[in-house]
Amino acid sequence: MTTENPVFACRDVNVHYGDKHAIKHVDIDVGRSEVLAMIGPSGCGKSTFLRCLNRMNDTIESARVTGSIMLDGQDIHDRKQDVVQLRARVGMVFQKPNPFPKSIYENVAYGPRIHGLAADRGELDEIVNTSLRRAGLWEEVKDRLNQPGTSLSGGQQQRLCIARTIAVNPDVILMDEPCSALDPIATARIEDLIDELRESYAICIVTHSMQQAARVSQRTAYFHLGDLIEVGETKKIFTNPQAKLTEDYITGRFG
Amino acid sequence: MSPSIVLVLIVALAVLAFQIGKARSIAVAGGPRHTRSLHSLPGHYGLLTAFWCVLPALAVFGVWVGFQDSVLTRLVLSNMPAEQQSLPADQLGLLLNDLRNVVAGNVPASMVSDPVRQAASDFLRLQHVAHLSLAGVALGIGVVALLWARRRIRPELRARNEYERMIEWALFACSAVAVLTTLGIVLSIVFEAGRFFGTVPITDFLFGTNWSPQTAIRADQVGSSGAFGAVPLFVGTLLISLVAMVVAVPLGLFSAIYLAEYAAPRLRRVVKPLLEVLAGVPTVVYGFFAVTTVGPMLRTVGEALGLSVAGESALAAGLVMGIMIIPFVSSLADDMITAVPQSLRDGAYALGATRSETVRQVVLRAALPGIVGGILLAVSRAIGETMIVVMAAGLAANLTLNPLEAVTTVTVQIVTLLVGDQEFDSPKTLAAFALGLMLFLVTLLLNVIALYVVRKYREQYE
Repeated sequence: MTTENPVFACRDVNVHYGDKHAIKHVDIDVGRSEVLAMIGPSGCGKSTFLRCLNRMNDTIESARVTGSIMLDGQDIHDRKQDVVQLRARVGMVFQKPNPFPKSIYENVAYGPRIHGLAADRGELDEIVNTSLRRAGLWEEVKDRLNQPGTSLSGGQQQRLCIARTIAVNPDVILMDEPCSALDPIATARIEDLIDELRESYAICIVTHSMQQAARVSQRTAYFHLGDLIEVGETKKIFTNPQAKLTEDYITGRFG
Repeated sequence: MSPSIVLVLIVALAVLAFQIGKARSIAVAGGPRHTRSLHSLPGHYGLLTAFWCVLPALAVFGVWVGFQDSVLTRLVLSNMPAEQQSLPADQLGLLLNDLRNVVAGNVPASMVSDPVRQAASDFLRLQHVAHLSLAGVALGIGVVALLWARRRIRPELRARNEYERMIEWALFACSAVAVLTTLGIVLSIVFEAGRFFGTVPITDFLFGTNWSPQTAIRADQVGSSGAFGAVPLFVGTLLISLVAMVVAVPLGLFSAIYLAEYAAPRLRRVVKPLLEVLAGVPTVVYGFFAVTTVGPMLRTVGEALGLSVAGESALAAGLVMGIMIIPFVSSLADDMITAVPQSLRDGAYALGATRSETVRQVVLRAALPGIVGGILLAVSRAIGETMIVVMAAGLAANLTLNPLEAVTTVTVQIVTLLVGDQEFDSPKTLAAFALGLMLFLVTLLLNVIALYVVRKYREQYE
């Protein structure tokens, strides 16, 4: 499934964990200003595929990734590609909120600091301020920026992690089941946030909740045992899936 | 019949009681096929019977053995001629010493005076009688208790629950022994230190800068007073510990970081145990390593640089002690670093942090309280370390901050104070207890702080 002028263009992507063939010949594009949801039963490889996009699989010793993943026409596995630069352009939000053991301010300022995005303290304040605002957290934390990030509630921590990711000004944000550790109210807030962020960033979200995929995404990809079964407009996938496997999954016959 | 044979007999009685209790319970149940009518398993009744049989017998045995000697001695003494009984206390003590030596067979009977020889043979005769009656009384009480316990056995007796309670008491008794021993040691140190501070004012001890504990045996000798200013010892201890920490903290911490974050798992599996071998080397081995290798080497290097290095120096002792402490620091730091959740590392990597940025700004930050706790434990270990400093640091109580000179430490002085001929109530000997008290208080404080810090950290991620 191809898209006009995609951010990510992935062709024949394979991932092996040792002997295990975890991702098999996946072709997929990620468009600009769209939310792409990846669904599928546990162990289907959707998270593994997500982690290919910012080369987080590099940190897993037994993992081997082949195929071509083009970010704006540049192969991310190219030798010239600096993985640190790549991860600055492709942010990631994890399943469990993982704020650093630092203050709220320092959590957001961390990325800009290590990449030298702010020339002085004033600019850094500005970046932290905007990022927290965009993540919808500013009003709740503006009076306690110096308190530890871990003092926030789970939903707030997750929005802090999103603010932290935005602060580096990435092109794409990857989200690995960002709401699975949160209650429904915090989940609704994050979903609203994803909808707002879509205007500026391409977003790939892995989710276990089909309702969530239906609510937040424009396109949906269904993975099954390492195969990409089907990808298309979310509406179409949920109302009129082409593959039998997809239909079985979304109608709750397994998974 | 010696007490140890009585003890063996009591154990045999216990085995017998077990069998009797078990058989009795089966009998009251109405045969081996009806044991389900019993509240507990037959074995529980057996254990209960054995317990109730052995406990009184052992109690009698313990009390008897504890008091036998003093009672017998008094009896023998009252049978001695009046001439001996009216001796002054110190001479009577010598006489009793002779008596004990003859009884124990350390001194042949022909070497002592007639009354003592007579008393010794009295003592042995009485002892024989006492042992026989001990056997009779202890075993008799055991048998009576056994019969009583056997009578208690009914199907509704909750032997299993009573057995549970016995287990609980036994465990409690074991922990009580450990706690009471600690308490006893602390109290004896405090008490003896109190006696010391009765002779030497506590302010002289804590703030005096002159340490020269050579009290004379006769009052008219030169330098009979002795000086007990412990400041040079405290400074020496701190100096050596400081040198040790300067060596151990960076080496230990960095090797822990390398092993936890950088090394391949296979390398880690080999190197980590190797590093921990360092902790298993006896400190006396480190000591002669310090004396024979490090000391002379420092001296040569010092000469080449135009520095005068004493043969026994704080630097040599501190360097070697630092090596010894590396595994303490690295092992604890490694545990703390590995306990940092992978998700924090992933978070930093996903923001485009390099490995060293991640380690420095995220992982170490998260592990810091635990690492500090580990370092404090290592410090208390360094302060209490004895063998290396005895061998390598010297005995001269110099008040100096120069690590190239010989210094002495609290532990070294405790050793030297207690080695040699001295009465146990002279200030010189008692000073060892005062030093021990100081050492105990400092290491206790460090340990409490360290454990507090470590525990606080643990609560965060578990």
